[in-house]
Amino acid sequence: MIVLPPLVWALLALFCPLLAAIFIGLFARYSGRFSSWLSLAAVLTSLGAAITLLRAQLARPERFLEETVRWLPQGGETLAELGIRLDGTSITMLVVVTAVATLVQVFSLEYMQEESSHAFGRYFGYHSLFVFSMNLLVLAPNLLQLFLGWELVGLTSYLLIGFYWRKPSAARAAVKAFWMTKLADMGLVLGLVVLFTHSGGFSWTATLTPEVATWVSGLLFLAVMGKSAQFPLHVWLPDAMEGPTPVSALLHAATMVAAGVYLIVRTFPLFEQAPDTLTVMTYLGAFTALFAAVIAVVQTDIKKVLAYSTCSQLGYMIAALGAGSVMAGYFHLTTHACFKALLFLGAGAVIHAVHSNELSKMGGLSRSMKLTTVTFVIGALALAGVPGLAGFFSKDLILETLYEKRLWVPLGLLLAAAGLTAFYMGRVVLLAFFGEPRSRAAEHAHDGDAAMSAPLIALAVATVGVGYAASRFAALIGASYAFHVGPVGVLGTALGLGGLALAYMVYGSGAVRLESFALLAPVGRLARSGGVDRAWQYGFRRIALGIAAAVGFIDRYVIDGFMNFLGWGTIVLARRLRRLQTGNVSDYVLAVVVGTIALVAWGLYG
Amino acid sequence: MTLGWADFAPLAIDLALVAAILIVLIGDLAGGPRAGRGIGYLCGILLLGLFAGSFFLDLSGPSMGGTYVGDAWSTFFKRLFLAAGALAIFGSADHVARHTPTRQSEYHLLILFSVLGMSLLPGARDLLLLVVAFELMGLPLFVLAAWAKTDDPRGVGRHAPEAALKLYLVGAASTAITLFGLSLIVGLSGTTNIDAWIRTAPSPLWFAGGFLVLAGMGFKIGAVPFHFWVPDTYQGSSTPFVAFLSVAPKLAGFAALIAIIHRGLGAGLLHRPTLVTLAVASILLGNLLAVAQTDVKRLLAFSGIGHIGFMLLAFLPGTTESIQMLLFYGGAYVVTNIGAFLIVEQVEDAAGGSSIDDFAGLVYRSPSLATAMLLFLLSLAGIPFVVGFWAKLYVFLAAWEAGLQWIVVLGAIVSVVGLFYYLQIARAMFMRKPAAEAPPLGSSLGMTFAISLCLAAVVVLGAFPAPLLGEAEAAAKAFVAKPTGAR
Repeated sequence: MIVLPPLVWALLALFCPLLAAIFIGLFARYSGRFSSWLSLAAVLTSLGAAITLLRAQLARPERFLEETVRWLPQGGETLAELGIRLDGTSITMLVVVTAVATLVQVFSLEYMQEESSHAFGRYFGYHSLFVFSMNLLVLAPNLLQLFLGWELVGLTSYLLIGFYWRKPSAARAAVKAFWMTKLADMGLVLGLVVLFTHSGGFSWTATLTPEVATWVSGLLFLAVMGKSAQFPLHVWLPDAMEGPTPVSALLHAATMVAAGVYLIVRTFPLFEQAPDTLTVMTYLGAFTALFAAVIAVVQTDIKKVLAYSTCSQLGYMIAALGAGSVMAGYFHLTTHACFKALLFLGAGAVIHAVHSNELSKMGGLSRSMKLTTVTFVIGALALAGVPGLAGFFSKDLILETLYEKRLWVPLGLLLAAAGLTAFYMGRVVLLAFFGEPRSRAAEHAHDGDAAMSAPLIALAVATVGVGYAASRFAALIGASYAFHVGPVGVLGTALGLGGLALAYMVYGSGAVRLESFALLAPVGRLARSGGVDRAWQYGFRRIALGIAAAVGFIDRYVIDGFMNFLGWGTIVLARRLRRLQTGNVSDYVLAVVVGTIALVAWGLYG
Repeated sequence: MTLGWADFAPLAIDLALVAAILIVLIGDLAGGPRAGRGIGYLCGILLLGLFAGSFFLDLSGPSMGGTYVGDAWSTFFKRLFLAAGALAIFGSADHVARHTPTRQSEYHLLILFSVLGMSLLPGARDLLLLVVAFELMGLPLFVLAAWAKTDDPRGVGRHAPEAALKLYLVGAASTAITLFGLSLIVGLSGTTNIDAWIRTAPSPLWFAGGFLVLAGMGFKIGAVPFHFWVPDTYQGSSTPFVAFLSVAPKLAGFAALIAIIHRGLGAGLLHRPTLVTLAVASILLGNLLAVAQTDVKRLLAFSGIGHIGFMLLAFLPGTTESIQMLLFYGGAYVVTNIGAFLIVEQVEDAAGGSSIDDFAGLVYRSPSLATAMLLFLLSLAGIPFVVGFWAKLYVFLAAWEAGLQWIVVLGAIVSVVGLFYYLQIARAMFMRKPAAEAPPLGSSLGMTFAISLCLAAVVVLGAFPAPLLGEAEAAAKAFVAKPTGAR
């Protein structure tokens, strides 16, 4: 075991991926293979460093370390600092990010192998940049650095969603994601400004007046809604599935979208000062959880189901944080990272074999893709909340929290969402892996090789095991945890099992036909309609473009006209003044003499 | 007065530089002229080594009975000059080796002499040492300005004699004015010790001395109306030398000005509107005339006059903060301007001229050079996040604090004009096609090295300006901490 100070490990975890990204960007772009090894070496170093830090932290959970350097000095003061904060919260997230990133990169080695060398290298360059950006965010000692990382992960998200940029839908999805999250990020910028003007710094431990705290936390939450895809800013996430599937697993399921939740966890001292914001979070999170779960039921694209499911699960986390339990929200983030990454990678394996995202092209895959089926089912059961698996513990904790706080409405929404979650996961599993193959590709599908199988196995093991680490996790972040069986937990589990059973009756045995329930038809139509999406489009076309047209008019004819006049005037003036430069050295010396006399005369008698 | 070892410690770098000069001189005499770029690279490595050494040696303390004082102030300037010298020599090595293969060592020695003069200047506390150092810096520049002279009527160096002569004639007049002013000051105070001047009661003649020094130094830094030599000399001289000329002597001029006026005569002594006019005239005229230029070297010359105007803004108030910002601007200007001129050199060398048209389609001929040039231009224009942005921002902040708000507004507007002409070059590089016969551009090893260093500094300090700011702060504090000023 190499003994290094924790700071060195943290710096290694942070900068190795950056170096890899720079190196790939500058030199190795045209050797894709080499780029991938470089990127993998960097992320493995990060992972090693993260695990080392975690082990040290587990031994002394209360320890924290903060090292900063002056970034923007102003006079004798310091405007902003950059640095590293190591504590239980940041180290846990660091491990989650680097572990999932490592597995996803390994998976990508095989998944992306048909890309050209150039594209392959570019892909891994983006991945390295992402790991750096995410670590920058996670290790931030203040909100300003967190914001830097936040914007950088937004950039890499844009780049990776638009990875197949020749495909118009992918390019559009990338732009849409950028737009929506940028819109929300205005909240973060404004929140920073308000925080800075009222506290003189970017620290999240500042004590604010209730009014200011509400403003700051509300503005920050706006950014969270964008990044973590909460209603009504969730519309970019399903479209983001245009990116390569491993990217969806890493960015748009396990880590980047969870950055919003992490932001709240990190800055919870600010949020705690604003009870109104917390209430909004609880209701909005719970609503998103149910809303997205309903839409997930009617999706026919396997990735879209998972995408809406991610929205829904993020809603759970937000609701838990709103109810005041950092432990519940943050723990669900961690377990969700495991099983959702597993599900996405499993979906990736299926898509790789079937060459389609559509559930209607799958079916019967359990015969030919045994490993994928087993691991996917483990992930699905964890998501459905089957006791013993990771998702069960964290979801149970969330439901318990809301129950204790007597938040009946959000609790009801979340319970309903739990039933639906189990139902749509049962549906996906049954449609994709069981029954008869519904396409030629599905008949001839097979499991991936080692590079694709190993991450699935690793994540499946984590999905089974991580739930039992809850009390250690609690110790790391300074909370406490004890498992107990309560009425709401039993109810939630029952609903989950019921959802699974119903899914079997509908899609497995065919005992129940959904069409026989007339009540469901309008709900289904509504869920398929994409109403929120259209509302945004309408708002964008009518309002934003309308304002833009007016501003454009002023810009083109008033401001540009004025600027053109100024520019023209400058050039004319410059041409005239040019004659001063005669080229005659005697004139130059004359200018020196006259200038000197003028200077002395004015200086003395002016 | 007895000399001890302690007297040499603050001068360790300068003495090492003298030794290096002697070694190169003797080696050249003994070995005879040599082709190849080895001699240039050797001199460059020497300067770089001394630059690195300055971080490990303790260069503080008085020397020669207080004639010379080493502190953070003198060390900061020393590093700037050593860095500028090293970058210029690495950038010149190829040019000199190809154009004047038999006289290479003379060129590099002259640069080393000039750097030695600059290096001694900021620590000088006695006027005699200061003037001698100043002349040691200036005299080699006249020779170097004529270096590119050629009999070929279409050669790049055909204007070199004119360039050198203009520099010399205007320079001679200015030196006379400076010395006249200094003689008034010394006559009235009765001492050449700069720190002792503060005890003299001010009189009109005393102020006249100060203004005469300012006027004479105005030539060296190229402030309006003493700037007329600047574009002509830049255009005619060999470009790698211009890279050096455009930054190092100007900062030395500021070091001398600050020593004589702020430190010697007392900060805020000189009539302020006059100084403000000088700064504003430089900013306006430099930037306006740059718009009308079609030659990149002349364009950079005029824009350089504008930059001097911005530095004068920070020079004016003479407070610790403003001096700190001036030093930061100086550091940023060194790396940015040298980098830009070295790229001009390569284009000029291939095309035989340095008009904006010669930059057309540079991105097709060398993507890396075009990208580097773009970053240098953005830094000159003051765009975030390259180092020039912070430089300009901090100077504006210093001027604002000093009550020059309207000039800051004016400077911000003029910066837009700056963006216009800088981006004209960028547009030529990226949006126009190269001439049909233009081949791809390759760089020599030394050139690549120098440009890479400049670029790294521009980008890294742009993202993270704190280290240079910290150094500048320490230097400015060391300068102000002395018992002067309060009059």
